Amino acid sequence: MLRISTLVLAMTASVAHADLADTILDDIVLPGFDQLATSGQALDAAAQADCRAESESLRTAFGEALDAWTAVSHFRFGPTEVENRGFALAFWPDSRGKTPRALNGLIASQDPVAQTAESFATVSIAGRGLYAMEFLLYDAAISTAGSVEYHCALTQAVAADISVTAQELAADWHRRYAELMRNPIDGGVYQSEAEVAQEFFKALNTGLQITADMRLGRPLGTYDAPRPKRAEAWRSGRSLHNVALSLEALERLAMQLAKAEPEVAGQLGSRFDIALAEAKGLHDPRFAGVSDPSGRFRVEVLQRTVNDIRAVSMGALGPMLGVSGGFNSLDGD
Amino acid sequence: MTSRRGFIAGLVAVGACPRLSWADAGSPAFLSAGRAPNGGYAVFGLGQGGQPVFEIPLPSRGHAAAAHPHRPQAVAFARRPGRFAIVLDCVTGREIARLEAPAGRHFYGHGVYSKQGDTLFTTENDYEAGLGCLGVWDVTADYARVGEISSGGVGPHDVRLMPDGQTLVVANGGIETHPDSGRVKLNLPTMQPNLTYLSLQGEVQEQVTLSAEERLNSIRHLDVRSDGMVTFAMQWQGDLSAARPVLGVHQRGQGPELMSVPRAEALTMKGYGGSVVFWGKGQRLAVSSPRGNRVQLFDVAARQMTGKLELEDVCGLGVLGDALVASAGTGEVFQAHQQATRLWQSDVAWDNHLVAVNRGA
Repeated sequence: MLRISTLVLAMTASVAHADLADTILDDIVLPGFDQLATSGQALDAAAQADCRAESESLRTAFGEALDAWTAVSHFRFGPTEVENRGFALAFWPDSRGKTPRALNGLIASQDPVAQTAESFATVSIAGRGLYAMEFLLYDAAISTAGSVEYHCALTQAVAADISVTAQELAADWHRRYAELMRNPIDGGVYQSEAEVAQEFFKALNTGLQITADMRLGRPLGTYDAPRPKRAEAWRSGRSLHNVALSLEALERLAMQLAKAEPEVAGQLGSRFDIALAEAKGLHDPRFAGVSDPSGRFRVEVLQRTVNDIRAVSMGALGPMLGVSGGFNSLDGD
Repeated sequence: MTSRRGFIAGLVAVGACPRLSWADAGSPAFLSAGRAPNGGYAVFGLGQGGQPVFEIPLPSRGHAAAAHPHRPQAVAFARRPGRFAIVLDCVTGREIARLEAPAGRHFYGHGVYSKQGDTLFTTENDYEAGLGCLGVWDVTADYARVGEISSGGVGPHDVRLMPDGQTLVVANGGIETHPDSGRVKLNLPTMQPNLTYLSLQGEVQEQVTLSAEERLNSIRHLDVRSDGMVTFAMQWQGDLSAARPVLGVHQRGQGPELMSVPRAEALTMKGYGGSVVFWGKGQRLAVSSPRGNRVQLFDVAARQMTGKLELEDVCGLGVLGDALVASAGTGEVFQAHQQATRLWQSDVAWDNHLVAVNRGA
């Protein structure tokens, strides 16, 4: 009995794998990183045009770049893991307060490292990237610290650095990594279509984990010790917005992964619908409500809807893709 | 239950307390956490044939355990970020004591007894500070917590006693986590794993870090040979195409040595070293990768890979005589010299580690 169902599972899985890499790369990954590169360039241009923290055009450009990152932030393999690119773009969560410390250090000493792109790339990653930019634009203390001129130079340096990193990321995907995933070979990073499918499946689960445990879990804290200041991008009021964006991006990925099995796709789709509806109905942009019982309850409900998606992913999508069900392999130690 | 165990349990019940040993618990060769077919979690004793000889339920998923050196007692740890560590009487299956992590601490799933078994050391996370520590518990005082010592790093996973009985070796994985965010890794950009040797009182005697290019290689699990050579299994936190080693060895006073293998072989381990063990009279090494569904075998003196065993969801490793033993999430237990032969097929999914019971130095 066991043998037959294993065979059926293997056959279904290989059907599920066919063309998966091409579709996900061409419809989701490459356009996603291209958008990140484009929005990075726009951010750079906006900072050159108007570097003031209160500049509407700069803040809008920042928002678009953070949106673009959020949409691909679960693809943490390959190009993002080379030369710390992912962390240089997005040093988050910053549980030790390293970002404000790094920025304050630069501002206090008016460190000339901010004068050129080459020198700025040597700054600690805590002082680089989108979350550092958020401090520069929105943090009450840092957005007004130091001289106006230095603040401007630093803002422009951070923006230029984001642009360069984002473009390098996109280029690495196009020139190297997409090919490794399209054409798995013996002795390669990916040895089969199944391994490529597994990588994308892991990315889906990573994204769901980041959203449930980090974006929602960290500000929730515990009932006795909620931590609203741990919400992602709370200074720019984007905490809930990022949760919704990540869910939308993860849904696109999940639907591609589940394409071969309408029943599984249906289950995933309905759980995503529930989670997104919950997010849309929650009027708490920075999860400040975690500090009081009724507000907290709503955020907990949202977290639960994301965990319901994870359950379907692990319970139905994983087996469908033939991803090893071994509980040593999937969860790690 | 064997009739002798039932007899002993009866004696204990009426208050006549004979001096018990592991023989009274069915002489297990190993302890392992596992998931029963009904989905419940338990800690099991495994005999020399790979067969379960006892099963004691746990409140949630377990991880590793620590076997008392001579009494039939074991501490079963929750999987991180767990807060329970249950001391079990392996003869009666009863709970002797429950260790609770104090406020601001959680367990990392590993621990070790001192040579005489009067002290227990547990790996823990001081999660507000983001630093590792070892809890210290007095076994003779009903496992009262008597203190804690710094682990010398972040994220201590495994801890072993060195052959001199006076020194602990800790694998500080370097990765910061916090219970509010589950198992999410918080400090990858700045992580720095290390191997730390400590006196039982907590004085740091030696620390070993890897080269800058290996900074993302989290040192996680350990084994110690009778001459004091330490081996460690690592988990790479960067891009898998880097094909970094997952196995290393260290001798006091020297630098660490990582075991390089051909790139194609390295890629098959998926950057994940699960368990590690010296075997073959200490001449050989084995490291498992449940993600690569395989065990790589090495000759220690030559520092060379000599073979591999392809086994689905394999993770736990141990020794029986001079043979290697491996357990897998498929319920299988294998024995190997060159190839693996299946000793036992169970309907229990064996979890990450096999813990040796009553193993000689």
